[in-house]
Amino acid sequence: MTTERCREWREWLGAHALGQLPEEERVALEAHLEGCPECRAELEALAGVAQLLPLADPQHFNTAPAPPASLADRVAATIRAERRSQRRRRWRLGFALSGATAAVATAALLAIFVLPGGSSSTPEQRIAFRLLPPGLQISATLEPHAFGTEIHMYVKGAPSGTLCRVFVRGPGGVRQSAGSFRYRWGGDSDAVLSAALDLSRTRAIGVRVGKRTFVAPVGSANA
Amino acid sequence: MPPGALSGERDVREAYAAHAGELYGFALRSLGDVGLAEEAVQETFLRAWRAGARFDPQIGSLRTWLFAILRNVVIDLGRARASRPTVAEGGIEPTVEPFEEALLSWQVEEAMRRIGEQHRRVLVETYYRGRPYAEVAAELGVPEGTVKSRVYYGLRALRVALEEIGYDD
Repeated sequence: MTTERCREWREWLGAHALGQLPEEERVALEAHLEGCPECRAELEALAGVAQLLPLADPQHFNTAPAPPASLADRVAATIRAERRSQRRRRWRLGFALSGATAAVATAALLAIFVLPGGSSSTPEQRIAFRLLPPGLQISATLEPHAFGTEIHMYVKGAPSGTLCRVFVRGPGGVRQSAGSFRYRWGGDSDAVLSAALDLSRTRAIGVRVGKRTFVAPVGSANA
Repeated sequence: MPPGALSGERDVREAYAAHAGELYGFALRSLGDVGLAEEAVQETFLRAWRAGARFDPQIGSLRTWLFAILRNVVIDLGRARASRPTVAEGGIEPTVEPFEEALLSWQVEEAMRRIGEQHRRVLVETYYRGRPYAEVAAELGVPEGTVKSRVYYGLRALRVALEEIGYDD
């Protein structure tokens, strides 16, 4: 099991992971793998990549599509236009409220400008967890309630019996537990949990599935 | 406002310079239409700017956040398109699954673009075209063992590239 010997075997691992090794070589390599945990681990890592290959279309390998140069200007122009219309609104509001107390005016302005447009009108938020290991699926739906946030957590593809611990993060990254459940094959499709953090203040949701933690942003990012 | 928040025009310009290419590439892969892809990128930066004060780099990278916004934009655009009678032949409501699949496809393709030409070449020839190693070796003028080792190092490079794309926070 010297490194030098492993090096030779290792160069076969790619072909093996892709199922391209001739029978004779495959048998020989498997005999080595039986006694070499390092090479087995390496094969496992390569197999994880190999199983993603069918998802890709080789037609797209050579050219990365680029946005037209004019798009940058259009983005800037859209934002400028929106900022101008916000300013106009603020002006009108300023006149309308000139008789009111400063505190009321400030509160109104905060309500308009601090809450980003759009997101506050959606009662529930569907959250998808990205970049999961192949086979694992995690998503969540968050609903605002007077008590805080109701969380419907959907997990699929973990080993049956895996302990899943859910938490949410508020402003400044403050973490709050939202409870735990066990994932069971063939069980309910989602677990219902709750957290005493308002949905409007929830910035991220995380779940520890076994020994790995996955976090997804909540709020404006999912508006 | 947390440091790194996306509030000024300049922040948006910088974010655009750093990430628009990737966001556009993925939007195009997912929506299959140049016009829609441009619309998706534009809408993503507009939403990002509107909610810029709420971006917190302690939770995740700007890139991850922008992709999360793009995800919603793409789903909205996909829905809008599906509700137009001419396109809605199948009547299938776009769901999270096709999006995640499209994202994964795009990630593998982006990773393929990032690895070296030699590595990409042997993976394309042997895996995607299903050609025998001996034939590929003869064409490239190298021993068969070299093709084999390039397949190995190619897969390794691909794994590193995928990590670069995915786990950046």
